[in-house]
Amino acid sequence: MSSKPHVIVIGGGSTGCGIARDLAMRGVEVTLVEQGNLTHGTTGRMHGLLHSGGRYAVADQASAKECMIENRILRDIASHCVEETGGLFVKRPEDSEEYFQKKLEGCKECDIPVEVLSAEEARKEEPYLAKDIDKAIRVPDGAVDPFRLCVANAASAEEHGARIETHAPVVDVLKEGDEVVGVEVEHESGPGKRVHREPGTREEIRGDYVVNATGAWAGQIGEMAGLEKEIEVRPGKGVMTIMNTRQVDTVVNRCKPKGDADIVVPHETTCILGTTDVEVDDPEDYPEEQWEVDLMIDTLKELVPIIEEARTIRSFWGVRPLYEPPGTGTSDSTDITRDFFLLDHSDRDSVENFTSIVGGKFTTYRMMGEDISDHVCDKLGVDAECRTDEVPLPGSEDFSVLRDYMDEFGIRSPIGRRSAQRLGSRTDEVLDYDGPNPVVCECEAVTRAEVQDGIEGSGSDLNAVRLRTRASMGNCQGAFCCHRMAAELYDEYDEETAYDAWDELYQERWKGERHAMWGRQLSQAALKYSLHGTTMNRDKDAATTDTVISDFTAFDTGVGASPSDGTAETAATDGGRRGGD
Amino acid sequence: MAIREDVIVIGGGLAGSMAALEAADSDASVRLITHKKSTLRHASGLIDVLGYLDEEEPVADPFAAISELPDDHPYSIAGEAAIRDGLARFDEAVGDTYQGDHTDTNALLPTFGGAIKPTARYPDAAAAGLASDSRDMLVVGFEELTEYNADMLADHLAAADVPFAVDGVELNFPGTYANDSRVTRFAKRLDNDEDVEYEGKTMGAREALAESVKPHIGDAERVGFPAFLGDDHAADVRADLERELGVDVFEIPMGPPSFPGMRLADRLKEAVDDAGIHISAGNPVIDYEADGDEIEAVIVDSKGREVPYHAEEFILATGGLVGKGIDSDRDGTVEEPIFDCHIPHSDDRYDWFDEEAFGNQPFAHFGVRIDEGMRPLDADGSPEFSNLRAAGGVVGGTDPVAEKSQSGISLTTAAVAGQRARERAAKREVSQ
Amino acid sequence: MSDAQQPSDFDATTAVDEFEPVDVFPSSEDMDLRPGADNCYKCTSCDTSCPVAEVNENFPGPKFQGPEQWRLKRHEDVDIDDSILSCSNCMRCDDACPSSVPLSQMHNTARGEYVEEHMDKLSMEYLRNRMLSNYRTMATIGSKVPRLANFVMGLGITSVLGEKIMGIPSERDVPEFATETFRQWWKKRGGSKVSNPDKQVAYFHGCYSNYNTVEVGKAMVRVFEEFGYEVLVPKQQCSGTPMFANGMLKDARREAEVNVRELGEAIDNGAEVIASCTSCSMALRQEYPELFDIEGIEELSEHTWEALEFLRVNEDLGQAIQESEVDPQAFAYHAPCHARNQGLDRQAVELFRDLDGATIEDVGESCSGISGTYGWKSEKYETSMKIGAEMFDHMEHAEGDVGMTECPTCAMQMNHGTGYEIRHPLELLEEALV
Repeated sequence: MSSKPHVIVIGGGSTGCGIARDLAMRGVEVTLVEQGNLTHGTTGRMHGLLHSGGRYAVADQASAKECMIENRILRDIASHCVEETGGLFVKRPEDSEEYFQKKLEGCKECDIPVEVLSAEEARKEEPYLAKDIDKAIRVPDGAVDPFRLCVANAASAEEHGARIETHAPVVDVLKEGDEVVGVEVEHESGPGKRVHREPGTREEIRGDYVVNATGAWAGQIGEMAGLEKEIEVRPGKGVMTIMNTRQVDTVVNRCKPKGDADIVVPHETTCILGTTDVEVDDPEDYPEEQWEVDLMIDTLKELVPIIEEARTIRSFWGVRPLYEPPGTGTSDSTDITRDFFLLDHSDRDSVENFTSIVGGKFTTYRMMGEDISDHVCDKLGVDAECRTDEVPLPGSEDFSVLRDYMDEFGIRSPIGRRSAQRLGSRTDEVLDYDGPNPVVCECEAVTRAEVQDGIEGSGSDLNAVRLRTRASMGNCQGAFCCHRMAAELYDEYDEETAYDAWDELYQERWKGERHAMWGRQLSQAALKYSLHGTTMNRDKDAATTDTVISDFTAFDTGVGASPSDGTAETAATDGGRRGGD
Repeated sequence: MAIREDVIVIGGGLAGSMAALEAADSDASVRLITHKKSTLRHASGLIDVLGYLDEEEPVADPFAAISELPDDHPYSIAGEAAIRDGLARFDEAVGDTYQGDHTDTNALLPTFGGAIKPTARYPDAAAAGLASDSRDMLVVGFEELTEYNADMLADHLAAADVPFAVDGVELNFPGTYANDSRVTRFAKRLDNDEDVEYEGKTMGAREALAESVKPHIGDAERVGFPAFLGDDHAADVRADLERELGVDVFEIPMGPPSFPGMRLADRLKEAVDDAGIHISAGNPVIDYEADGDEIEAVIVDSKGREVPYHAEEFILATGGLVGKGIDSDRDGTVEEPIFDCHIPHSDDRYDWFDEEAFGNQPFAHFGVRIDEGMRPLDADGSPEFSNLRAAGGVVGGTDPVAEKSQSGISLTTAAVAGQRARERAAKREVSQ
Repeated sequence: MSDAQQPSDFDATTAVDEFEPVDVFPSSEDMDLRPGADNCYKCTSCDTSCPVAEVNENFPGPKFQGPEQWRLKRHEDVDIDDSILSCSNCMRCDDACPSSVPLSQMHNTARGEYVEEHMDKLSMEYLRNRMLSNYRTMATIGSKVPRLANFVMGLGITSVLGEKIMGIPSERDVPEFATETFRQWWKKRGGSKVSNPDKQVAYFHGCYSNYNTVEVGKAMVRVFEEFGYEVLVPKQQCSGTPMFANGMLKDARREAEVNVRELGEAIDNGAEVIASCTSCSMALRQEYPELFDIEGIEELSEHTWEALEFLRVNEDLGQAIQESEVDPQAFAYHAPCHARNQGLDRQAVELFRDLDGATIEDVGESCSGISGTYGWKSEKYETSMKIGAEMFDHMEHAEGDVGMTECPTCAMQMNHGTGYEIRHPLELLEEALV
């Protein structure tokens, strides 16, 4: 048993991973538990905007300033997760000039570098902007891959001795008297990486301090800890619609006071349209509705007209973990502050060794982690400085995407470049692959080497492999690669595990794709259905579905075959590999 | 004065080709108008007639099962004789390149997804792979390809309790390749039997492939490969491998790309050509001219110029959602873009799908509804036009993916549409 | 008999100004064709139709070269994969794609970008490609002194020098220059023998009919005059086909500007534009509007025809052929890839099937492999011949021992692979009708 204090962090989103890394770097023993994959909650369900602060520069200048500071830090320490796209606040003729000026002044007041562009200048940079726009303000917005960022934080934490347990929902918060002493988790497939069909186990994890960083789920954990006062998280759902290609390479914001459908974020190979804000009761169960998707397209086409004709490949919803301090009584969830709150339950509820963090923004996750870690270290008497603002994350050490990929790794330059943009400084380690290295996911240019690295990092869970590599996230939505990814699992994992993982990924892809069911994506989905249904017959697979073939002899045995004499049946009893085992 | 064709068929896939062949089975002049390559190129090349009803067991005799289908199913409308006609016409067109016509019973074949599938006709190249055959099997896969892992596929077949022992082996395909060499390159190597280096010796690609498989055969009496064993000379490739290996060799249908599908497309094109059918390929039909309920001409967009093609009878075989014979839009539109034939559908696009990927998918039912002459019907149940018939994927009313009936429906509707068009065109000529 | 009648009420000018169509695939001069990737559903029809990918294991195929590479592109990315130079621009992928992805436009644009950004402008490869693309310039000089040029080109030492220095395969015979160019003949003849202001066609003869296969040009003139057309021969430059294929888009644009202007004048006066080379008609019809934004370019596209196509649609060519006969002869016909793309791959076979005396056999769907200048590069020669092997084989199995095709470079390849004499459909048509 280590003499170091042990902190348990609940929640594998950006905040939890940020705290885990921070504390681990300060020499604290950390265990992070997460109910699903990393970023299972809100972090994995956002548009990936790295705020410049411009969006808050009029209404919430404190947040705006924090965003700009953290934006600069993340460009340094998380360079392989961030794309420095720049951003524009675009004013249409019907938008208020007064607000435009306020935005401009506000940005300046918050130290956000700005530049005003004429319509011509803006359209020169982004040719698909509407022809009738007035002008735009350029700000240093960026795009960030939230999953990559969380994985890198978790990997850094692990390098500093932390234990990361995904697919391990907390089922109880352990208490002795008024003191929280740990948590009980249910490992879906035993401790360690997730592997399908491994039996589930329960584990009590004891620690000196527990941090509840579960966002929209904070209230549920609070209840497990027996807090008398409810943690008033007010989840607000928002839709994000994913375009097949990039219509813009710059973040495009509508220069208007807050509203629905006012941002287009270039994200990897796609653009993400966002968003809505509707309060919901349950962060796990809320309706995903057609009007929200239509609103994105019909509103944002005013900024980028080609969006109306362009293809969307799916839509997803996220739930903001908005926190409202008691007594505020805001009726409209869009008015709830985006600031974060540290709830020390010792002060608040007389429950010791337990703190919750609620509210906040993705862009400032590191700063929130620093504040919480300061607080926890103070409680535990640990005297160590935060270094997360200066030490690059794993993968973000010096790297260049400009290389001769054919010469070095035998892959085409666009594929190599994409891989390096995802892998950062891990590129050589991953792409230097022994044996044929064909592309497994053609839409997103993911080679076998990278898929294998993803499997090494996340077990048989192909959804986690998907999040690490982007395989199956392109326009075919898994039609041509779900089975290929499953085939990559084999050897390491058995046939049953691989097919379970395949079916799970296939269904997960369908969940979002169905929100894009018209025109070209419906044609794509029909092709996918034909390929997996007609050609592969997976919908009636006798090994995995309710369908059975009880009598092979009832079928055609070939030209000239003698009528069934029962030999086939004999073979059935002692022939099949599984049957013979 | 232009001479009109008797029959124009729009669409050059399985249904279009077969409908043209059927229509040309007399003195009728027939023109096939195709735009792009058909979906045959990425279909498996298997000809399913009916694989499943709403029961756990696959259908063994599709003809016996037809009476259980609903009245508005294309098979119920066309009737059993039409299904048999369609298959007979197909058997005639493909000759000995296909098997399965010796029995009414479905065959069971392994798919590259590892599941076993019931089908009515299968390429000769796939014949030794029947799952109802009890001979032991070896499945070969290649590291250079990603579509399946042979060991995993073999284990999965075993998990379905097939009546034979099955093993898998992953090999390197003989020769040197880039990481992204296309599958057509592998096929071509075998097709031309190009020289490759194998274990320090130079030899033909077929021999080298056989050499690499030999040590793994064990007790297997048949060996399955991904379906790219040659293109033009596929039968020779297979024969050479069988001779070298001393066991039967078969292909596991794949797709896309699908060599069995491409070979079938080639075979059908030859048959169409041999039948003296005119082919206009490369430009789309975009509109029509009609007098009342009678279509007089279809308009072909010839790189920006609109050219009319006249005929007595027209057959629409443009495919479904995959073949682009049916289009849809976000506003709830589902349409057949040439003639705007009625396609029953909900105006709410959220009614078009089921939440389960393999649930009952309403979009799979999209297509025109037909009368017994295969004429598309309007919303009131009357024919849209007196001389327009539909065949293949553009015909809806059932989920051919779930049933495994797509190719059978194509052959059946093509047979009826072709016959009727031929007969009607002849009658009109007499009356004129 | 014509296959189809010209619509009586068709008027290209109506209903054009009433709406502004959404430009889903912008012209390549914007250098952003990512929206075109939206149409792709990954079916691989393009890959399986690619004649290069099946013989060259280092070519990743049109799907990667086209929609996939474009979709992976970010604004600031400049590195185009150099495999784009292995694409022969046969455009079979365009013909195959069921989803109408603008594949060849993507390839042409990427190739242009690659040559512009990455190719050493002083390299011998660049100079060689530039020379091959600007064949007209070379031919102009050659045809000034055709006998000398033919003599020099025929010398063994010239071939060796060509191979060593320029990378032009010594196996290839440089096309022979005619002693009198088509334009010289035309001038001497005194222009068209028919005067008919209501039936005028402007002949786009291209480079080969002018400098090398002058007989094709003459046949065109005589056949069209037979149908009562007044033939005009406006000033013209190279269509640009070899320039697209070599990524020399600036050169191509320069030539296109002249062609659009000169042919545009003829169109304004009521003429339709006729090409005898299917790659020329392809360039004018499809590649021009896809690649360039020049006033009048759409109009030229809409008014350009391939010679037989024009007569099929506008005259009763089928009937005329049925009523004619020629001396018994058998042809092995090859449909050029670019004819396929215009929907013309079957017309020669289906027309001449009905011509008494002539036997014609389609030698199949394979590509000849030369693709204009492609087979004229040493490093591509082997690929070119591998692609052509299937066609040579089918030609040798065909009944006829005379080849037929519309494309002059396909004709060279057919001749190179089989030794057959190769004729153009217009030449047979002339024999039948004139």
